Amino acid sequence: MVSRVRAELRKLLGLPTARVGLVLGTLTAPAIVLLNAPYTRRAIAAGTLTDTSDLGLRDLGVGLIGPMVLGVIAVSSEYTSTSQHAPGARQLTATLTAVPDRLRLLVAKTAALVLVVAAQAAVAATATLGLTQVLHGDHVPVPAPARVAGAILYWTLTALLAYAITLITRNGIVPLTLLVINSTVVSVSYLLTKITDLASYLPDIVGAQMFIRDADFPVEIAPLTAGLVMTAWVAVLLAIGAVLFQRRDA
Amino acid sequence: MITVDRVSKTRSRTRILHDVTFEARPGRVTGFLGPNGAGKTSTLRILLGLDRPESGAALICGRPYRKLDRPLTTIGALLDGSGAHRARTARAHLRWVAASNGLPDSRADEVLEIVGLTGDARKRAGRFSLGMSRRLGLATALLGDPEVLVLDEPVNGLDPVGIRWMREFLRNSAAQGRTVLLSSHLMSELAEIADDVIVIDKGRIVARGSLAEVTGDHRTLEDAFFALTATEAVRPW
Amino acid sequence: MNVARAELRKLLTLPSLRLTALLTWAATLLLAYAYAYADRDAPLDDAALAPLGYTQAGFLVLGVLAAASEYEEGGQIHTTLLAMPRRLPLHVVKALTLGAVTLPVAAVTAATSTLPAGGATWTPAATAYLTLTTLLAAAVAGVVRRAVPAAILLLGLYFIAGPLLRARPGGIAAYLPDTAALDPPRGAAATVAWTAAVLALAALTFHRRDA
Repeated sequence: MVSRVRAELRKLLGLPTARVGLVLGTLTAPAIVLLNAPYTRRAIAAGTLTDTSDLGLRDLGVGLIGPMVLGVIAVSSEYTSTSQHAPGARQLTATLTAVPDRLRLLVAKTAALVLVVAAQAAVAATATLGLTQVLHGDHVPVPAPARVAGAILYWTLTALLAYAITLITRNGIVPLTLLVINSTVVSVSYLLTKITDLASYLPDIVGAQMFIRDADFPVEIAPLTAGLVMTAWVAVLLAIGAVLFQRRDA
Repeated sequence: MITVDRVSKTRSRTRILHDVTFEARPGRVTGFLGPNGAGKTSTLRILLGLDRPESGAALICGRPYRKLDRPLTTIGALLDGSGAHRARTARAHLRWVAASNGLPDSRADEVLEIVGLTGDARKRAGRFSLGMSRRLGLATALLGDPEVLVLDEPVNGLDPVGIRWMREFLRNSAAQGRTVLLSSHLMSELAEIADDVIVIDKGRIVARGSLAEVTGDHRTLEDAFFALTATEAVRPW
Repeated sequence: MNVARAELRKLLTLPSLRLTALLTWAATLLLAYAYAYADRDAPLDDAALAPLGYTQAGFLVLGVLAAASEYEEGGQIHTTLLAMPRRLPLHVVKALTLGAVTLPVAAVTAATSTLPAGGATWTPAATAYLTLTTLLAAAVAGVVRRAVPAAILLLGLYFIAGPLLRARPGGIAAYLPDTAALDPPRGAAATVAWTAAVLALAALTFHRRDA
């Protein structure tokens, strides 16, 4: 099992696009905190930014493109052809020859992705929150460890969500488009919460409640429940993806 | 008629072609022989206007590829792969290529018939086997009924029936006066169909002439090839 | 003329383009409904254009898929260049045919967003914007040559970097290619200039690079 996970780790980290995802995801949020520091300071001084308890945690959101890219690319790389000249020559063929048991392969792949994204999230969160403390320490309380853990879990679950959807679609563009659009300032899911309260239980909205408190969520959900609901979403989609992966021809 | 005149090319600071010079004449099958990585495909890509030479010129009937009008009516080429997008059907693929050179749609079905793919016209290219992909690639090359044929490793991926068919097809094409240039690393295969042979090794032409001339005193073309490439390997140029 | 016919056929026989166009339109319809329902008191122009702010992603994908399809497995780009070796005219015709195919899709999608909100006057501008956005995406994908990285780049710029830059005080927003999506009078020039610039860059690389 360990060797399979190591093989999947090596495969994932060897992809140029995955490295882009790693760099983007790790550096975007801290960079934004740095760039926005003067404006944030001014806003705090002017009193327009009254609630500062979520400051660093909110900035963390822009880095989510990293986990999304990693989740998508972990699967889509298996399905793109290895050579422009060889139709049907996919990496998946080689992968399945090396590890014919598809369920074990999927477990190893998932484990590798979780490891990479959790590590990335930990680094990004430490950098972002650390910088926030250094820059605005007088005004921003140190976030509780449980909330930081919630944020790291949110990143990991987002990567798994991207991964599961790609397993189902077998195409990277669809999940990427859906997830990136939905990570914008006013996300589609957020828009839907204005139509129906049920939309509060969509994975990205409910997941954010694990670590963000004071937002205008129409339905307030306890962090633990929020984590469970998002995990359930990911589990269901992963299960569907796994079943399809088992049944479909490579 | 194909004329390659002192073509050189450097890729990532390594010289991959050194003053490559040769001709392929009408009515003859010219075999372009060399080990993997010797520069066969690079030479053909320059001849076909896909890559640019650093110096020198590659001409088809006296003109560089990029200056040809309706090029498919002059030259047909078969490269690696089918050259078709996997989501398109064989017929849809051939029809857009036909349109690009002002050829009638009916040519699509005619060339499918020639290569024996009539029954697969509505199949998507992505569902084709390797052998079928090669046939589709050949069908594309034949669309404009060209007087020059350039084929890169044409028998790769073909089954024995396909290989024999390809051999006869190329012989007939030359017999009808066409210029046929094909690259291969399969010497016995080449010895069966080539009239003329050009041998390339490490980016340099090491021999050219008729099959008999290149074979020389050696028992087979294969022996001659190893003699040629082995000596070049130890003798510094 | 032959080149245009060939390129048109290529675009029309790619199933992924049809699917993308259909999904984009459906998503616009859904969002137009959502806005009509959710933001009854929002300013009129907002509701007319806001759905397009999201579904322009579909047009980005459309452009990416159209351009990157040449470079996918099978090596279609070789066939294209063997049949049409003059690269600059080919590049121009490619852009024109993609524009011609996109225009009706853009018009229907724009109307789906603007008409329910009573913003019919915005329809022509939105149509032009979406068509140009498709061409810009195709140009980027023509340089990158692979669909997923090109999509990551474009979606990242339009939906993550763009909103971040826009949220900052200062005048940078009007110079982004997608400002016109929400504020046509301010962003039109930027959209046109960006599209032209990236198309020119794509033409240059297409002309000079080995295929």
